[in-house]
Amino acid sequence: MIEPEIPDLLPGTLYMLVLRALARGPLHGYAIARRIKDTSANALEIEDGSLYPALNRMLVKGWLQAEWGTSENNRRARFYKLTADGRKQLERETKQFEKLVMAIQRVMRTA
Amino acid sequence: MSGEPANRLMAVWRRLIHFGRASAFDRELDEEISLHIEMRAEELQQDGMTRADALARARREFGSSLRVKEETRAAWQFRWLEETLSDLSYAARALRRNPGFAAAGIFSLALGIGANTTIFSLTMEFLFSEPSGRNPGTLAAMRIGGNSHAYMRHYRFLRDAHVFDGLAGSNEEAESNWRSGDETYRLNAMRVTDNFFGVVGVPLAMGRPIEPGDRDVVVLSDRFWRTRLGAETDVIGKALTIDGRPYTVSGVLPPDHRTVLGFGFSPDVYLPASRENDVVALIARLSDGMSLPAAYGRLVAACKELDKVYPPEWSPQASWVMNTDVVPVAGMARLRHLSMVPFVAFFSMLLIVVGLVLLIACANVSNLLLARASARRQELAIRLALGAGRRRIVRQLLAESLLLALLGAGAGLLLTLWMAGILNHVQLPLPIPVHLLIQPDWRLLLYSVVIALASALVAGLLPALKATRGGVSAALKRTERQVEGRWSLRGGLIVMQLAVSVVLLTMGVLFVRNMTKSMTMSPGFDADGAVWASVRLVPEKYPTEEQVRSVTGTFLGELRALPGVEAASVARVVPLNGNSIRGDQVLADSSAEPVRVRFHNNDVGPDYFRTMGIPILAGREFVASDRKGSPEVAILNENLARRLFGDRNPVGHTVRYPAPHMSDPITVVGVAANSKHFTLGEEKPLAMYSPYSQGAGGNLAPHLLVRSSRPEGLVREIARRLGALDPSAAIEVKPMRNALGFALLPSRIGAALLGSAALLGLALASIGLYGVLAYSVTRRTPEIGLRMALGADGLAVMSMVLRESGALVGLGVAVGLGIAAFATHPLAMFLVSELSPTDPPTFLGVIVVLSAVAAAATLAPALRAIRVDPMTALRSE
Repeated sequence: MIEPEIPDLLPGTLYMLVLRALARGPLHGYAIARRIKDTSANALEIEDGSLYPALNRMLVKGWLQAEWGTSENNRRARFYKLTADGRKQLERETKQFEKLVMAIQRVMRTA
Repeated sequence: MSGEPANRLMAVWRRLIHFGRASAFDRELDEEISLHIEMRAEELQQDGMTRADALARARREFGSSLRVKEETRAAWQFRWLEETLSDLSYAARALRRNPGFAAAGIFSLALGIGANTTIFSLTMEFLFSEPSGRNPGTLAAMRIGGNSHAYMRHYRFLRDAHVFDGLAGSNEEAESNWRSGDETYRLNAMRVTDNFFGVVGVPLAMGRPIEPGDRDVVVLSDRFWRTRLGAETDVIGKALTIDGRPYTVSGVLPPDHRTVLGFGFSPDVYLPASRENDVVALIARLSDGMSLPAAYGRLVAACKELDKVYPPEWSPQASWVMNTDVVPVAGMARLRHLSMVPFVAFFSMLLIVVGLVLLIACANVSNLLLARASARRQELAIRLALGAGRRRIVRQLLAESLLLALLGAGAGLLLTLWMAGILNHVQLPLPIPVHLLIQPDWRLLLYSVVIALASALVAGLLPALKATRGGVSAALKRTERQVEGRWSLRGGLIVMQLAVSVVLLTMGVLFVRNMTKSMTMSPGFDADGAVWASVRLVPEKYPTEEQVRSVTGTFLGELRALPGVEAASVARVVPLNGNSIRGDQVLADSSAEPVRVRFHNNDVGPDYFRTMGIPILAGREFVASDRKGSPEVAILNENLARRLFGDRNPVGHTVRYPAPHMSDPITVVGVAANSKHFTLGEEKPLAMYSPYSQGAGGNLAPHLLVRSSRPEGLVREIARRLGALDPSAAIEVKPMRNALGFALLPSRIGAALLGSAALLGLALASIGLYGVLAYSVTRRTPEIGLRMALGADGLAVMSMVLRESGALVGLGVAVGLGIAAFATHPLAMFLVSELSPTDPPTFLGVIVVLSAVAAAATLAPALRAIRVDPMTALRSE
């Protein structure tokens, strides 16, 4: 089987991507993976196996809250929502990430 | 960031919540995962796949749902906790497989930990218990003008000054006579001001407390209600005849009532302090947040006002502000204030001693673990070889000692509960009612967990490190001998254990010798032929001093008329059963300057010295004519005579008290031999005796003393005769020999506690020593067999084995003796002066006992070893 070539996620960016995906409103697990894939134009794909452990670790940290609700096609699904702490964390990670990317770009362009 | 720790805490909290709903969580996760796969499959179907293919693909993409579940679950778990739990369950299986090992370890630790928790709870109860009442933290005891108690008028003045949220008073030395049927009993009553229960907030089990305005009501202690009134439930409202008056029972205290005095002091009843000449110790309720210095400031201000209304009587310059203080009702500050520091020192010593016992128990467990580790050498080697980290294996081995320690602590706690039951029922031969109320509480639980953890570390860490030391190659060697040097951990343990047992045994033997010395020590008076009748007269029946004097005389006359009575007398204080100490300036007519002396100042009647068997060395006894109104006279003991008059004969000379104003001269009429007054251990006590009727004639609680050739036979007769003279008087009669019990109590308690701790330590150490020495000889059986096979002499082999363990034992004992010589020095404060802390017989005895134990432990297996058939020994190699 030929899989489309997908770049590995930069380490440590999974939380940031999930937080960003939830910034616009609550989503269930599958929708989070879908949103990241769609908004990156299929460039980024979260490994299904790592999504749920990550979501739960974020619940423990208090960045997310989970609630059962009904999905778009009327099925019971668990929706994840950003908390105030989660929003702060997203800002922090975004800033750090931008700094990092800029620094890398500077190196790549000049060196 | 300040929110970080709070966040961490919240994370722990969320995890804990999760812990409670783990199975619901698993179900929900399953649902979530299947929805995820379902949705992916639907998407694939829309792209044109068949349902079956789409589902299969979605599942493949998702990967192992088992692993996802495992990892998701892990996000919520306390990893170390779960690992510890699994280590513990592994350890539990290991212990179940070796029940003998487990039982030996748990037994050792249970005794060691049980001794610690028992002494701990005894200490907490005796020294640090809080009084029953609302919020004891805002209660404070107060003292004005240096007096422990204040007169009612002074108390009322301070109370009405309203400087505190409440001010109450209590008098703990208020004895009362209770008439029940044809008998009169002496009760230990606590007289309290009518607002006492309200201010302190004392809870009751039944009825109501003493309330403002109450005069003739009584609140009963649980003990009195149960033992004397048969726990009648309809007792409220009944009347008790106390001091000749009916008192209505208003309430009953709960069984766990603790008085504001603490130290296990527990009176039979509470009565209102309503008489004008009552004195009370002050206790105040401070408003929330008021500091002790602030309270002191207010008290001083109130005392200045008190000076204006009631100036102190004893000196025109005096003020109530002098020696005024405010003390909390619990905790260390209170103990310092009440000069209880020697008690704190004694209990600290006890805690150290039981700590040493625990150390011995831990060494035993260490030895067991070492022996087991060498048996499990190969298992550990294989695990190390398979890549288990050393850390992980050390943890696992520690889990085993932790489990042992926890089980030991559990058994130790049971032991403590059992001991507490016994201690709570001990009836101490004290003149004051002291009953301990040891109850298990969170402090005890916390303490036992802490010492269980500590013992697990102490006992388990070294063996665990040793078992995993040297890595795989060393561990894979078949026997231990090749990796163990001569000065091994095992040898170190023997030395340590011996040293500790030497220290323990030395202390124990010292205290036992202290007791035997005290018991054989002469108190300076002849207790064997004397009987002591203590009488308490009802104050309402004898309102004037003259009436008291007259009835005391009648009692004495009745006693003297009894057949078999050689002499009878009366005293204010019975030696060794009460305090008559007085610190004052005394001016002898033979010198120009007064001397400040602390002396015992007892008031005794005619014939006192003959009755007590104290020789008069010069001059005369008191006689009936030394009465109130006649010239004041005194008898000095030898020590005080020498102190005041040197080598001169003091008879005929006079002494005076120069302060606060010069007293009339007091003529010395005699010199009595030295005797003990307050404690058996006191050194060179000074004493001055005054005639009873000049100083204490109006005393409502006279002590009548009788000398007879048949003291035991007289006890009942005396009680009957005196009781017939005044049925309202409470009378207790006992042979003087029994009365020495109080004086011997400290040395007996010391000997009982330290002696049993030392015995426990010795037993544990003997078991441990025997085990280790026997084990190390047994390990050498093949070697010994070889030597025997090669024709060695049995005796030579024996002496070789003995020499080697003798070296260890000798080192241990020497180290122990060195420590003991230092460590026992502070004990001098608890010992009679005749006994030095470095008492040679004690040290010698300890050496003999321990050497005997060590020799027995070595000889038995050595004997077995030389009898082994050489072929058997060789084959095992």
